[in-house]
Amino acid sequence: MSNTKSPIVGLNSRRDFLKTSVFVGSGLMLSLVLPRGTARAAQSASPRSPSGFIHIGSDDVITIVAPAVEMGQGGHTAMCQMIMEELSGDWAKLRVEDAPADPLYNNPMINMQITAGSFAVRGWYPELRRIGAAAREMLVQAAALQWGVPVVECSAEQSIVTHQASGRALRYGALADAAGKLPSPATPALKEVAAFTVIGHSPKRLDVPPKLDGSALFGIDVDLPGMVYAAIRGAPTLTGKLKSFDDSAAKSQAGYVATVVLDDALIVVATSYWRAKKALEAVTTEWEKGKLGGMDSARVSQLLRSGFAETGTVARNDGDVESARANGAMTLEAVYEVPYLAHACMEPMNCTARVSADAAEVWCGTQAPQAAQAAAAAALGLQKEQVTVHSMYLGGGFGRRGQADYVGQAASAAKAVGRPVKLIWSREEDLSHDYYRPAAAIRFRASLDAAGALTSLESNVVSASAPDFSRPGPPFYTGGVWDTTYSYSIPNFRVTGLNKDFGVRFGFWRAVNDSHNPFMLEGFIDEIAHHLQRDPYAYRRSLLQHQEAHRHLAVLDLLAEKSGWHKPRKGRHLGMAVFPSFGSVIGSVAEISMQGKAVTLHRVVTVIDCGVAVHPENILAQLRGGLVFGLSAVLRGEITLLDGAVSEQNFSDYPILTIAEMPVVDCHIVPSTAAPGGIGEPGTGPIAPALANAIYAATGTRIRTLPLAKLGYTFAASRNRA
Amino acid sequence: MITLNVNGKEHQVDVDADTPLLWVLRDELKLTGSKFSCGIGVCGACTVLMNGQPIRSCVLPVSAVAAGATLVTIEGLSPDRSHRVQKAWLEESVPQCGYCQSGMILSAVALLDRIAHPTDTDIDTAMTNLCRCGTYDGVRKAIHKAAKSPKL
Repeated sequence: MSNTKSPIVGLNSRRDFLKTSVFVGSGLMLSLVLPRGTARAAQSASPRSPSGFIHIGSDDVITIVAPAVEMGQGGHTAMCQMIMEELSGDWAKLRVEDAPADPLYNNPMINMQITAGSFAVRGWYPELRRIGAAAREMLVQAAALQWGVPVVECSAEQSIVTHQASGRALRYGALADAAGKLPSPATPALKEVAAFTVIGHSPKRLDVPPKLDGSALFGIDVDLPGMVYAAIRGAPTLTGKLKSFDDSAAKSQAGYVATVVLDDALIVVATSYWRAKKALEAVTTEWEKGKLGGMDSARVSQLLRSGFAETGTVARNDGDVESARANGAMTLEAVYEVPYLAHACMEPMNCTARVSADAAEVWCGTQAPQAAQAAAAAALGLQKEQVTVHSMYLGGGFGRRGQADYVGQAASAAKAVGRPVKLIWSREEDLSHDYYRPAAAIRFRASLDAAGALTSLESNVVSASAPDFSRPGPPFYTGGVWDTTYSYSIPNFRVTGLNKDFGVRFGFWRAVNDSHNPFMLEGFIDEIAHHLQRDPYAYRRSLLQHQEAHRHLAVLDLLAEKSGWHKPRKGRHLGMAVFPSFGSVIGSVAEISMQGKAVTLHRVVTVIDCGVAVHPENILAQLRGGLVFGLSAVLRGEITLLDGAVSEQNFSDYPILTIAEMPVVDCHIVPSTAAPGGIGEPGTGPIAPALANAIYAATGTRIRTLPLAKLGYTFAASRNRA
Repeated sequence: MITLNVNGKEHQVDVDADTPLLWVLRDELKLTGSKFSCGIGVCGACTVLMNGQPIRSCVLPVSAVAAGATLVTIEGLSPDRSHRVQKAWLEESVPQCGYCQSGMILSAVALLDRIAHPTDTDIDTAMTNLCRCGTYDGVRKAIHKAAKSPKL
């Protein structure tokens, strides 16, 4: 049951399974993994057959091709759980492989092959269960045919088909060949949630064992015969271009191979990474600054706030906020703002490429194999079908590895030197050439009537991003408007979004909109509650008295119960936030004490309703992990611009949370049989508003900008619950 | 030629004297379990044991490794993930992306060698490795768990 990615020889043999399985007539296949072209054609032929997802060998080994990559979020294991539940396969015989770049593996919810947006389980839950069930029915049917008995008299469990009446049994491995020749049923019978034995349980995550002994292979670990190494220097300003360079000093250094010039970066290739890095340091470069020249963080903030005077695109408009404001007894107004943030994956961006005249292979951790394929193809002038992507474990993704800039760069370098190249970014490059969580500012205006009822809320979002209002439903984008499927009932409600494009490249950061919008919105709701001298929990409850709010209410109530909301300990102050996020509903309470501006975080209580909890143990780990990611940002996270360049260069000036700062965390999952919601991202958002609201409860000071360190706050976590 | 004793074996390596130990381990000896992340000795992803002490191998020139020093990387901790720290890590399912975990595990091994039953404060002080996925609770639990099992 190990999915240790073996050395490169093994990688090839792994691909050999994908490539050759259709040609192996040895009777091993339940389902044949289709060759590339066929798979693409098959994609339109919905529903998908088990082909391309399940392989059962004569040795009973079940290999599942996972359509979600593994970046620590438990994607491999969850994909396997959904198939194995319905396949009734023996978990001990399971292996998992990454899918190649192919539309067959496009997430059905978004029709993209991308592991992001907490879409993996949500998007694949119906389809992978159906695929597993179809395979089980094919195996059962094969056994029934062999025995000459009705299918209904046969059952399958733990990779064995049994005919109870005659006591006969056959292993899946012995049936796979015959089963693979049967048609795939389109609508196989699915189990009831109550009958689940795999989903809702927590089998040991498949990627854990190889991560304990160094055998798990990440992109950076790839080793090819004849490979050379590359170091890169990108344009200091994010819109910069290379003007001139002098590499004469580098050329005389030991191991120097080549200088590769890109439009916006310079690469030096050498016989070892250390030599490439040293040779790159010997190269002098001059850059044009481009559009961002002269831009700094203070100016970004000024431009964002100036956007409130402009008209944004209307994302939602219920009732008439203007009349409500005109007729209201009073208006409350506040502006919130958050800075740019970097992903800072522990594994810096890297890619290994091998290029020939008419084909290329790339090895990398990527959240988007087809984007990686396209980036290499574009860099090389090849068709994307000529590029093979080998997905490796990701040393963190968080949205950064949905971009494929590093893949194109590695491919360019490999083509230039005619040898396989491993390109590794330094940490400094990684932090200063990210696709950043965009800076954003939101102005809220709320009107209250004479009785204190909330009659309108308007939110004007200005973001260094590109909100996409073109799709139906809530705007999906990389930046700034909160999810407009907002739970609170407010009769007049308007959301507008405005894009300010400074030229800083922006991207999806863990929790995307929910990395900052809950901080702003749940902060402002807290402001209204306090203005009305209402308890923040009771006030939220009063806005959730409508039918669609039952999940939200349940989370809120459990949160109040588990956090001891109504009886805080002496000297402790509580702050609350709750909101819908990636198809789930999540909330947190932060419990703090304060001395001056020194915050001590004693405990965080988090409650989530994520529908069916596919792997509860992993969900709890994701909630804790999301909290750590969010708390790092709340405390100290800020990417600053100086003359168009990012100032932060390493963990020394972009610090992330340490174990000593890890608070006591208490997480709860609301039981549910509803379809799964997301779990990778929702945990990131609640800590910012919960902590900011707790600081208000303690001090009466409202936090409207982050990070806290910039406001003069210091932080410690306490493990002492007394 | 520089001689290194890694995981109980002697290796002769022919590299530039200023090459950090990390890159010698990874690129010359193909021991890729030790990871590159910050390159300035801050994050601890490159942690290996030198004479039982955790060191940041990304900032230690290979020429500065003392003659006769014994080095242990994650690959040499046990032949079969049977070290008590690895077992505790498995039981607690500590890793997420896993990239920092070799360094985490080796730091924990060194801590437990020094302090048989570390307190939370001991853990806070010794475990300076960074984890972006936020596995810190698991790390702490696994260290306490490993401390309860006999040292082999």
